[in-house]
Amino acid sequence: MDKFDIMEEFLLSMKNKIDKVIRKKRRLYFNVKNEDLHTVVSYLFHTMGCRLSTATAMETYEGIEVLYQFSYDPGGSFFCARVIIYDKKNPLMNSIAPIVKGAEWIEREMMELWGIKFEGHPRPESLLTGNHPEGLRVPLRFGRIT
Amino acid sequence: MNKNSIPIGPFHPLLEEAEYFTLIVDGEKVIDIDLEVGWMHRGHEYISETKSFTQSIFLVERICGICSTSHPLACVHAIEDIDNIEIPMRAAYIRTIIGELERIHSHLLWIGLAGHFIGYDTLWMWAWKYREPVLQMFEIISGNRNHYGMMRVGGVARDVNPDAIPDLNRIMDELETKLIMISKAVKDDPVLHSRLKEVGVLSNQAAIDYCAVGPTARASGLKIDVRKDEPSDAYGLIDFNEIVFQNGDVYDKFVLRVLELFESIKICRQCLNELKQVKGPIINNIKEISAGEGIGRYEAPRGEVFHYVRTDGTNRPIRHKVRAPSYVNIPTFQASCKGIPVADALITLASVDPCYCCTERSIKLLNQDYDPVKLDLLKLSREKTELLRRN
Repeated sequence: MDKFDIMEEFLLSMKNKIDKVIRKKRRLYFNVKNEDLHTVVSYLFHTMGCRLSTATAMETYEGIEVLYQFSYDPGGSFFCARVIIYDKKNPLMNSIAPIVKGAEWIEREMMELWGIKFEGHPRPESLLTGNHPEGLRVPLRFGRIT
Repeated sequence: MNKNSIPIGPFHPLLEEAEYFTLIVDGEKVIDIDLEVGWMHRGHEYISETKSFTQSIFLVERICGICSTSHPLACVHAIEDIDNIEIPMRAAYIRTIIGELERIHSHLLWIGLAGHFIGYDTLWMWAWKYREPVLQMFEIISGNRNHYGMMRVGGVARDVNPDAIPDLNRIMDELETKLIMISKAVKDDPVLHSRLKEVGVLSNQAAIDYCAVGPTARASGLKIDVRKDEPSDAYGLIDFNEIVFQNGDVYDKFVLRVLELFESIKICRQCLNELKQVKGPIINNIKEISAGEGIGRYEAPRGEVFHYVRTDGTNRPIRHKVRAPSYVNIPTFQASCKGIPVADALITLASVDPCYCCTERSIKLLNQDYDPVKLDLLKLSREKTELLRRN
């Protein structure tokens, strides 16, 4: 794929799966529904050959956002897939770890720091706070319980 | 099969940071490995949300002592990415020099440690001895041997004194002679060949699957280098080679880092030459950052450092994500350690140059109380910097 029209190519192929597209210089941010996440991630990782740089979770008043940042190294650009979970009491979404092995740790981290449950994760255990005293739960959420 | 487990860590005399591995072995052979991190996590990302952008740069500089340029540089790239802020040319060259000097001292530190891990202590002493002039160069430029405090949104904090450029070039020439000696010692030594070749192989496919970065990925045939892929600062203006190997073993990772030292010297020389001609400001005056989100990255010595900053238009981030290269390189142990003898496990674990401070984004909070010893050290450091500048 030519690195110059890579974003156009992606937008054309995934136009029914993504919305709220924000295009900046070498950056493409877009929203994905949880049920379409696997299709989009599979296209980015397997078809385009993108690398998962990392994923970022944050809580807003609307819900909990998970932003997967995929790097397209030949073009030096980023494709950022945003999933918004509206149910804050029981945040649940699909894990991409079965598709991208490199997502295992970051999803485990988001699981413990944000309380998101990733369905289909091969090892849903704490990564960083496993040895912390009992009571430290979801430390980065609003109204965090410590 | 008779399975046994060997715990390494969390505090182990051979490892310089807190880390915990469990090797599952059958006799002498490692059949599986379990990794446990979280011994140093102290909530850096949360602290950053309580700081202004300028303070955040100082904060991330203290995530790791070795990557004390990479983190602030990726952080300012992320903030600049929000508003597509350009920086002055002179600042671009200075940023590049600092970044490459960091690569030289980090690679020399790793080469020394790797030598020490396999019992080649002469190499350790050489590498650390010749790392010292690099720290002196930092001191000449920034006044500090570590935590240089050079990065600012829109440029750099300090200019390079034009009178210091001949001295910097001289130190660089002397260093290159010593590096040639180290390079020959590594490439020609039959003991190193037998100890490192075909040990801890990370296949090309495993590097892709685990999303490995930096020398770990390049030694396995992946052509990934932020300096080439998304050239920022002065990297798009200067000539250097991307070193890539195919075997993925510890030897390739070793030689790759040695060769990258020469590329870094080449980059520094070009930038110092440019600084003689390029005049002008070193920072653009940035008064505010708009609401939005930005991604910043930099090719640290260990690979891509990634920062994501989101802001609501105030002077502080509402989310600051930090991902260090070791965070994605450490899980590759699950591919590279399987099937090797226990004796090779340690050098394989060391081969990605793991940094646990970066991985867990720790931050050490110093006691704010009066500390006379600290003040004396500060005074001594300033006196030494002045002495270096005068000579």
